[in-house]
Amino acid sequence: MTTTAAGTEQPGAGEPYLELRGVSKYFGGVRALHEVDLSLHRGEVVALVGDNGAGKTTLVKVISGVEHPDSGEVAVRGEKVRLDTPRTAAGHGIHTVYQDLSLCDNLDAVRNLFLGQELAGSRWRGRPLDRHRMEVEARRVLDSLSVRIRSLTTPVGGLSGGQRQGIAICRSLISDPSLVLLDEPTAALGVTQRAEVLDLIGRLKAQDRGVLVISHDLKDVQEVADRVVVMRLGAKVAEFVRGRYTSSELVAAMTGAHEGSDG
Amino acid sequence: MTTSTTAPRADLEPGTPMSSRALEALAGSYRSIPVLGVLGLIWLFFYSQNSAYLSVGNISNLSLQIVTTAILALGITFVLLVGEIDLSAAVLSGVCATVAANLAVKQGVPLGLALLVALGVGLAVVLVEALVIIFGVPSLIVTLGGMSALQGLLLVVLPPEFAVSVGGTTYAEIASTHFGTGTSFAAVGACWLLYSVALLRRQRRRAASLGRGLVPVVVSGLVVFGLVAIFTQARGLPLPVVILVVMLLLASYVTTQTTYGVHLYAVGGNREAAQRAGIPVARMVVYSFLVLGACALVAGVVDASRLLGVSNSSGGGPLMLNAIAAAVVGGVSLFGGRGSVWSALLGALVIGSINNGVQLLGYQPEVQFFATGGVLVLAVAIDVAITRGSLLPGRR
Repeated sequence: MTTTAAGTEQPGAGEPYLELRGVSKYFGGVRALHEVDLSLHRGEVVALVGDNGAGKTTLVKVISGVEHPDSGEVAVRGEKVRLDTPRTAAGHGIHTVYQDLSLCDNLDAVRNLFLGQELAGSRWRGRPLDRHRMEVEARRVLDSLSVRIRSLTTPVGGLSGGQRQGIAICRSLISDPSLVLLDEPTAALGVTQRAEVLDLIGRLKAQDRGVLVISHDLKDVQEVADRVVVMRLGAKVAEFVRGRYTSSELVAAMTGAHEGSDG
Repeated sequence: MTTSTTAPRADLEPGTPMSSRALEALAGSYRSIPVLGVLGLIWLFFYSQNSAYLSVGNISNLSLQIVTTAILALGITFVLLVGEIDLSAAVLSGVCATVAANLAVKQGVPLGLALLVALGVGLAVVLVEALVIIFGVPSLIVTLGGMSALQGLLLVVLPPEFAVSVGGTTYAEIASTHFGTGTSFAAVGACWLLYSVALLRRQRRRAASLGRGLVPVVVSGLVVFGLVAIFTQARGLPLPVVILVVMLLLASYVTTQTTYGVHLYAVGGNREAAQRAGIPVARMVVYSFLVLGACALVAGVVDASRLLGVSNSSGGGPLMLNAIAAAVVGGVSLFGGRGSVWSALLGALVIGSINNGVQLLGYQPEVQFFATGGVLVLAVAIDVAITRGSLLPGRR
């Protein structure tokens, strides 16, 4: 991985792209998030780890506009915003790649990449697809992350897990987001495909995009993350910077083994 | 000549392997190849039994016989593509045809207005069905109930004598109109020219060689003009066939070239993904049912016009089964998201060819049912085999 623009700047320095301050979320009487502060910068990979039920998913849902926090505020580029729907979040340059990838297996790569945001002609001509422009653009995006696919016109159902993950990530790039949320991107992948996806994350970072990776896999986390945010029981319990923590510290923070010791 | 055109093509696109192009072509028309094979075998069999089967007159006859099934199957295809099903469309076609016949023949309303009212009835019925389906009731149940309710509605809209004869009226002329040689060739030629120009212009935009664009142009020209020649040698180009072809072309354009089409397939392929991508899933389901409603009207009117009347058996009999079978035999998946609108034509041709042949050879009518049922199961079995082999290689 080249250490250019992203490397010169200390990760976590400068104005954050997205900032959460004291975000809390309740489901009935259950506290899903409690006073969470989180800042994400462009050109930085942040991993979100924690045991099941730690509030990772809820936090991601808040950032991607699926859930609304009960208290606390969200700021994009220092300005307070309300992320009401996934569309508003996308409008603020935040795009989420879901764990199940949300691909249509019966459609080809180009159609999946542009699903819901097709390049098309005028409405009264029946919104004809600009297939040519879409193919050119699709190739550009796929090439930018070095995702190699045999053919842009075969249904994605026939592609490998790594290629499908690649397409799902590339789909988020069609709208040129500043921040990409990846929900368990390596969960269902084999060894080589996992390496492919970790490479992809590195390239997203090299393109000066912020990446928030939710993962169970501590090996992945240590490999790609500049910062690791540990959640436990709905609260942020620790934050580690690359190279300044050990695996056992990470596990301890996740499981609460050293209760009370601040990270 | 061929070498001189292929050589620069390879230079122009060094990165495009021919094998992937071939794969692409095969994947696009994959599903229709086995169906075409079955159709060829059926034709060969009946032709070997009686050479009149492939006579100009019988081909013209066969085309008229399949129009109703094909148009209804086209509507069914839209509904199947979004992953729903409809069992009430055939009876609905009978209701629409009856409403139009009643108004046009009995009440003396102008035919155009009568058809418009019948269209309104058809769309209203499918809209109600679609809304109940969106609410969450399975489409199988909604349209099963709809079928029964529409049987009742058919008795309501029919006059007390339970039949309206449309013989000798403008209504009957819909099916009996034939275009002469001059008109047919001129109109079809103009359409073919427009298609060719559009195709070649797109080809040029992709910077692909002209030679590749010429193949579909030549093939489509041969097929189109050959068919028109056959029809004009018989009684001329029948209006119902023209209606069917126009509807197919329109449906083909909409499903393959427009945003609406992509969304249709997306909803059938992965409803949740479509929803997350911002596609209005419920609205897409309503749209496809509305298309079916319009198809039901056209199918019903053409059928009534061909049979010179409507009765309490309009839209009954094997029509519903045949329309669904036609779509499925042609390659439309029952689970949504796969198949093309041309499946409706191909499937209707297969089923129509069997029925026509059985009648021509004077076999017992039960043979017809056995053969149709057998072909339906065989076609789906082939489809299952293809799906296992091609769409999901190596994935369990």
